[in-house]
Amino acid sequence: MTTALAKSRKQRRSRIPWLNTPLARQIKAPVVCIGLTLALWQLLCLPNPDGFPGPIQVITQTWTPYISQPFYDDGGTAKGLGLQILISLQRVVVGYSLAAIVGIAAGLAIGLNDFLRRGFDPLIQVLRTVPPLAWLPISLLLLQQADSAAIFVIFITAIWPIIINTAVGIREIPQDYTNVARVLRLRKRSYLRDILLPATAPYVFTGLRISVGLAWLAIVAAEMLKADGGIGFFIWDAYNAGGDTSTSQIILAIFYVGVVGLILDRLVGMVGDRISGGGR
Amino acid sequence: MVEDVEMTSMVTIDNVTQSFALKDGGQYIALKDISLEIKEGEFVSLIGHSGCGKSTLLNLLAGLTLATKGGILMDGRQVTSPGPDRMVVFQNYSLLPWQTVRQNIDLAVTNVLRHLSSEERTELVYKQLRTVGLSAAADKFPRELSGGMKQRVAIARALAIQPRLLLLDEPFGALDALTRGNLQQQLMQICQEAGVTTVMVTHDVDEALLLSDRVVMLTNGPEAEIGQILNVHLPRPRQRLEVMEHPDYYQLRIELIGFLQQQRRTRQRRSAVAATMATSPSRTAKVVRLGYLPGLDVAPLAMAIDSQLFDPAVVQVVPESFADWRRLEERLVDGGLDMAITSATTPLQLNLGLGNQPGQKRTPWAAITPMTVSRNGNALCLARHLLDLGIEDRASLVEWIQARDKPFTIGIPQHHGIAELLLRHWLTAGGLNVEEHIAFTMLSPLTMVGALRTGAIDAFCAGRYRVAEAVEDRQGYVLATDLDIWSGHPEKVLTTSEAWAAANPEALVAICSGLMQAAARCDNSNQRDEMTRVLSQPQWLGTRSAIALTRQFKTGRGDASPELLRFNQFHVDRAHIPNRSEGTWFLTQFSRWGWCPFPTNRQELLALTYRPDICDHALAEAGFQALPAPRSTFALADGIPFNADEPIPYLKKQLQGSLPPMERAELPATSSQQPVLIPTA
Repeated sequence: MTTALAKSRKQRRSRIPWLNTPLARQIKAPVVCIGLTLALWQLLCLPNPDGFPGPIQVITQTWTPYISQPFYDDGGTAKGLGLQILISLQRVVVGYSLAAIVGIAAGLAIGLNDFLRRGFDPLIQVLRTVPPLAWLPISLLLLQQADSAAIFVIFITAIWPIIINTAVGIREIPQDYTNVARVLRLRKRSYLRDILLPATAPYVFTGLRISVGLAWLAIVAAEMLKADGGIGFFIWDAYNAGGDTSTSQIILAIFYVGVVGLILDRLVGMVGDRISGGGR
Repeated sequence: MVEDVEMTSMVTIDNVTQSFALKDGGQYIALKDISLEIKEGEFVSLIGHSGCGKSTLLNLLAGLTLATKGGILMDGRQVTSPGPDRMVVFQNYSLLPWQTVRQNIDLAVTNVLRHLSSEERTELVYKQLRTVGLSAAADKFPRELSGGMKQRVAIARALAIQPRLLLLDEPFGALDALTRGNLQQQLMQICQEAGVTTVMVTHDVDEALLLSDRVVMLTNGPEAEIGQILNVHLPRPRQRLEVMEHPDYYQLRIELIGFLQQQRRTRQRRSAVAATMATSPSRTAKVVRLGYLPGLDVAPLAMAIDSQLFDPAVVQVVPESFADWRRLEERLVDGGLDMAITSATTPLQLNLGLGNQPGQKRTPWAAITPMTVSRNGNALCLARHLLDLGIEDRASLVEWIQARDKPFTIGIPQHHGIAELLLRHWLTAGGLNVEEHIAFTMLSPLTMVGALRTGAIDAFCAGRYRVAEAVEDRQGYVLATDLDIWSGHPEKVLTTSEAWAAANPEALVAICSGLMQAAARCDNSNQRDEMTRVLSQPQWLGTRSAIALTRQFKTGRGDASPELLRFNQFHVDRAHIPNRSEGTWFLTQFSRWGWCPFPTNRQELLALTYRPDICDHALAEAGFQALPAPRSTFALADGIPFNADEPIPYLKKQLQGSLPPMERAELPATSSQQPVLIPTA
C-alpha cells in the first residue's frame, strides 16, 4: 500500500522537473499561502470598489509616484517612501547606537558587581515594561525638539534588553572557563579579552537583536505623534490627507515598515553570528 | 622508613573537612578528616562512588575551593588559591571554544611562562602538540575535534606550563572504551617522562590500577573518609596488557571492586534501616536498659549516673548488673537489654555469629558500637606458687610451660574476647604453641580469684581490680599487663543493635555523651577519690574492691610498684573513637586462630559495626573536639607492624606464609527482617 502510494507520488513529482529544484521547493509553500491570502483579500473587496482597496488597487493607486519613484523630493515633507524610511533609519541608528554603547557598559557593570545588580534589578524590571510612547511626553518636555525626542524614545526603549542580556551573559559564564582563568592566574586584561568578552558576546547580541526590533517599533510610533518626516509621519500624514488613495498609501507604507524591520533584525543577527560565532 | 616518607612528601592533606551550607540552614559535610601524604613523582588515584567527594578533594588540591577545616600544604606552603603549579585537567576539557587548539595552549603558556620569548613559547606549544600527536589540528577549533582529541589538547595545555602537580578530574570519563585505552597509555607515558606528580579522580578500576602507584578509596558521602589505601606495586614501565597479566593484578582488582561493592551495600543497608525506622522525637525521656559486668571498666557509667551526666530530658538509664558475659549477651540479643558495655570484640562477634564457646555458632545479630568505653586495664595474674619457681617473665613462663606435660590453664572472662586475643598473641610471640600448651577456661570474673586459690586454674586474665584483689590476698602476682602486649587497646565498648540505634538516635547520642563526660572525669587524677567513692557503692564494685584501687597497684613481686597512671584509659588520646583499624586487627586474629574465615567483605562488616559518625555527634554534644581515628599502622608485642589497609600480608606472616581461608561473611539481616528493595542508583 504505502510503497504504491510513495511510488505514485514520486512519478507525479518527476513529471514537472523544475518544481524539484531546491529553490522551488523552498518557496513553494510561501507562494501558495500568500497567493491564497491575497486572492481572498481581493475577493472580499470586489463587491465595493470604492471602499477598502484590494491588493491590485493598492498597487495601481500607489504606483506613481510611491512605488516607481521612491526617492523623489518635492521639498518640505513631500518625499518618496525611500527617503522617508532613510529619515526614520537615521534616527534609529543614532538612538540605537547610543543604547548599545550605554547598555553594554551598564550591563557589564551590573553583571560584574553583585551590589549593583541587586540594587538596580528592581528598577530595570519596572522600566523595561514601560511602552515606548509613554516616554514621549517626558522626552519632549526634556529635550523640547521633536527629532531629539524621537531619538531619546528609541534609546530608552532599546536599552533594557541590552543591559539585561549583557548582565546575564556575564553571570552565565561557565564555571569551567572561570576555573581555567583562576588556575592560570590570567591577568585582568587577558581575562577580559580571552574569556569574558567572547563568553558574553552571544548574550549581548541576543539583547541587541531584541532591541533593534523594539527601536523600529518605537520610531514609527513616535513619528506618528510628533515629527516632520519619517515613515511614521508619512502614514499619519496620509491618513490626515483623507484622499482617494490614502488607504492604499498607508497599506504600502505598512508593508515597507515590516520589510525594513525584518531586514534590521536579520542584519544584527548576521553580525552577531559573525562576531560571536567563531569556534561554536 | 617513616622519616623517608616525611622527607619526600610533596603534598600534605592535613585533616581536611569540607562542608557546604545548605539552603535550610544546615550543613552538608562532603569530606571529613581526610589526611594524605603525596610523594614527589607519585601517581595517586582517588576512587569512590559518585557523590563521595572525589572531585571536591581535587578542587581543594587545586585551591579552587578552600577547606572548611584543616589545610593542604604543598612544598611546605599552604594552598590558599589556585595557581599554575597545580594545573587541572577538567572533566569536560574546559577548552575555550572561541580559540583554536593552538590559541588555547598559547593562552596558558603566555600567561604562565612569561619569561620565555615569543619564539620559545611558539616552539613550546608545537612541542606539546607533537607530544600528544595533534600537530595537524593546531588551527582547528575545539568543536571540530572528537572527545579524545579535546582531552589530549587539555592534557597538552596542562603539561605545557610544567606544573608541579597535575590534577586530573575523571579525564577519560566521557570517552569510548577504545579511545580511553589509548589515551590512558599515552597519559602514562607522558607522566612518566615528565616525572610529574599526579592526582587523578576516576571511577574506573582498571584505569586506577594501570596508572597509579597508590589508589585511595573513599567511603560513601556525606562525611566521606579514606576507607582504604591500596599500594599498586606493579612494575613500571607498564603496558596495558602486560599489567593485566601480572599475577597480582587480579587480587588488586578484587580488592578495589570489593571495596566499591561493599560501599554500595553499606549505603543500601543504611537507607534500608533508616526507611524502616520511623524515628519519632519522643516527649518523654527514653528508658534505656544498659547491661554491664562490674569492673573498673564501667567507672564512666557509674560516674555518669552518680553525677547525672545523662541528659534527663532525653534518657533515663537503668543499669543492670550481670555476673557473666554469656547471660548479658543473651539478654542483649533477645531484647531484654537496649545496650550493654561489652568486650571490644563482642560487636564483631555478634555480627559474624561467632559464639562465646569454642566452635559455637549463632545467628548473626546486627550490632553496632558507637564508642569505646575504656582502653587497657587487663593484667595476667599467675598463681603465687609459680613465683617461687622463678617465673618472672614471659621467657621463663614459656620455658616452664613447654617443659611440663599437661596444659597450662588460664581463666578468661569469655572465649574469643579481647583478653584471649591478647594472651594468644603475646604467648605465641614468645614462642609458645598456644593450641598445644594452653587451656583457656571461661569463668565469671567474680569466681576467678577463688578458682586460682583452689588450683582449678594456673592463671587468669582479668581487669585491674580483680587482679588487685588476688594480689592483696597474696593468691597471685602480675606477670604482665596489657601495656606490655598492646598499649591502648580497646577493652570495653558500648554495644547496641543497629535497629535500636536507628530508632533512638537522640537517646544513643545522649548516653554516649554522658559516658564521655564521665570518662573525662575518670581520667582526671584529681577525681580519683570521687571515683573511688562512687565505685564503693554496692551496685558497682563494693567497698573492698574499691579500697584495693586506692592503693598503688601492686604486682605482688616485691619490686617497687611501677607507675601505672595510664593503666586504665577512659578519655585521653582519642580513647572513645570506634576505630575500624582495630576491628580489622580483630578480624585477622579471628581468622588466625581458625574461628572464622577472613571476611572478603570486611569493609562492609566494619562499616556496619563501627560507627564513628555517632561518636562524633556525641563528642560534639559533650563539648569535646572530635578528632579523627588515627590511620597509622600499629604494632603489638610481636613487632610486626599492622596496616589496616593490608591485613592479608600481616595475617600471612603470622600464619607462616600460608593464605588464610577467605569467605564472604553473611551479614545479619536488617531488623525489619523483610528485605527492603532499594533501587540501585
